[in-house]
Amino acid sequence: MDAVLTGLGQGFAVAFQPLNLLLVLGGCFFGTLIGALPGIGPINGVAILLPIAYSLGFPPETALILLAGIYYGAEYGGRISSILLNVPGDAGAVMTTLDGNPLARRGEAGRALSLSAVASFVGGTIAVVLMSMFAPILAGFAVKFSPADYVALMVFAFASLASLVGKNPVKTLLGALMGLMIASIGVDANTGVMRFTFGSPDLMAGIDFLVIVIGLFGMAELLHLVEAQARGTLQVLEIGKSFVSWKDILTVKWVMLRSSLIGFMIGILPGTGASVASAVTYGTEKRLAGDSGENFGKGDIRGLAAPEAANNASAGGAMVPMLTLGIPGSGTTAILLGALLLFNITPGPLMFQQKPEIAWGLIASMYIGNLALLIINLPLVGLFARLLTIPQQYLTPLIAVLAFIGVFSVVGNPFDLYMIIGLGVFGWLLRKLDFSLAPVILGVVLGGLFEDNLRRALSISGGDWSILLKSGNSMVLYLLAIAVVVVPIWLGRRRGKKS
Amino acid sequence: MADRIFASLALLVALGYGWIAFTGIKAPFQYDPLGPESWPRILALAATLCCFYILFRPDTEPFELQGSAGFKVAVMLVALVGYAALFEPAGFVIATALFCAAASLLLGANILKALLFGVATGIIGYLIGAKLLALNLPAGLLKFML
Repeated sequence: MDAVLTGLGQGFAVAFQPLNLLLVLGGCFFGTLIGALPGIGPINGVAILLPIAYSLGFPPETALILLAGIYYGAEYGGRISSILLNVPGDAGAVMTTLDGNPLARRGEAGRALSLSAVASFVGGTIAVVLMSMFAPILAGFAVKFSPADYVALMVFAFASLASLVGKNPVKTLLGALMGLMIASIGVDANTGVMRFTFGSPDLMAGIDFLVIVIGLFGMAELLHLVEAQARGTLQVLEIGKSFVSWKDILTVKWVMLRSSLIGFMIGILPGTGASVASAVTYGTEKRLAGDSGENFGKGDIRGLAAPEAANNASAGGAMVPMLTLGIPGSGTTAILLGALLLFNITPGPLMFQQKPEIAWGLIASMYIGNLALLIINLPLVGLFARLLTIPQQYLTPLIAVLAFIGVFSVVGNPFDLYMIIGLGVFGWLLRKLDFSLAPVILGVVLGGLFEDNLRRALSISGGDWSILLKSGNSMVLYLLAIAVVVVPIWLGRRRGKKS
Repeated sequence: MADRIFASLALLVALGYGWIAFTGIKAPFQYDPLGPESWPRILALAATLCCFYILFRPDTEPFELQGSAGFKVAVMLVALVGYAALFEPAGFVIATALFCAAASLLLGANILKALLFGVATGIIGYLIGAKLLALNLPAGLLKFML
């Protein structure tokens, strides 16, 4: 506990530096802005702004604080388009539309928005508190991980990804494999052998992470928006004057607490983030409500508070494996992890000892960010909502401009501008075919780590594959991997039999 | 159907990737039991299996793309490629102005507003990006005055 308090003290010293404080607030504000834009979720927001944040030349902790602020802000902002437009910014916000939009239709949009801000604050804050308590413990434990244990951890990460993300596990797995294959392009660091470069010098260092992120997320999103816009126009609901009351908050206090805890736990699982967390908590609350739950889906405030608390809590939870194990808990944290790698910082168990200013600075900035978000969101929600009325024909081209600025200013190679367009088409097609893009980016980020640890483990054993199964840690992880695949199938069968 | 087409294409990629992994990659000398070729081989095998599975058990409903939406996406792609081609030679301001005007016109703005929006984005974008944030943006044809 002492270590946690010392760490937090150190973290707040970093977070309260004027520039960092300014960027937390700025990041939260711009994040909310981006999240509020119809159809653009946190992952696209962070993806589009990552290269710009990188090229501003900040020290790593400052850039990460800015990006985390954007991530948090976008999780907040996402609810605005979910509630007022019935258009979720990403999969994690889908559940918010179920009860949030009916409330808005009833003329209680103000109440829905302010309640969801409170729920998001509760979820986010509980997650940060749990994170500051458990992350150092997990990091201390993970320091003892051997390469073979890391291989087991990756297997677990990809197993939970396949089992919990998306509709079709095979497609999720194929998506992750594509990411791993993309990551294998370039010079092999161990032997200096070229792999899949086809003699092109542009590919020798591999495809730049920023290019992949901007292409797969930013540009694919742009094409998606063009297509959606051609299909019909959106109607924005009035906010009105209603506001959340103490009675509302007291009604949902246990809902928020439960959902925050569940959301945090699910966030920690590698690969699964807000979408799973909000769906699980919504289902749980609906079941717990029993007969009184018949209004779920028609504008029940419990159905709004649960997914909102859960998706912000899972955003915090997803940071835990990223900071302590170097394994991101969600697509967006995969991008944050890539951002750290750009700064030559490898997140992992040693980060809390070697780079405490980054690990703790980030955690402390989240405390501040959460509070700031609540404060700017309650009075300013009307301002953010006005963004929804910006016509799409101006908004959509701006995404391309931001993406081009970002890629060109960091990489400075015109070849990469074509690359992001190509990757954008690829990502757009994948989305149309029901592939989720988070596994692809996780594959890209984890590819190098997975391969290195496998090769190192086999070097230690002199080529004997049984080393992968020898330690207790790995066995536990393999059992968890099997459980995470088998349990949902078993639950599904059981539910099938009942009905 | 769309699933099958996609899976076949992905299968071709996986097989090509695997072919390179099994025949093309060789380390001149190595001390470790796993060389640079082993990992790609594992990936190629796993990806091939996944593709076969989707080929035999596809699940997506028919690939929906209405004619008008498809047309707009195609035009947008042309505009993007043009933007990429002009970005460095013509410079940020001109390329952005042209792209934004064209794209907003495509998405339903009237011509006057589209032009205004394009020019404004080009100039304001350059001022914020290159001057305020000191990012590396090409000046291009307007080099003499920027």
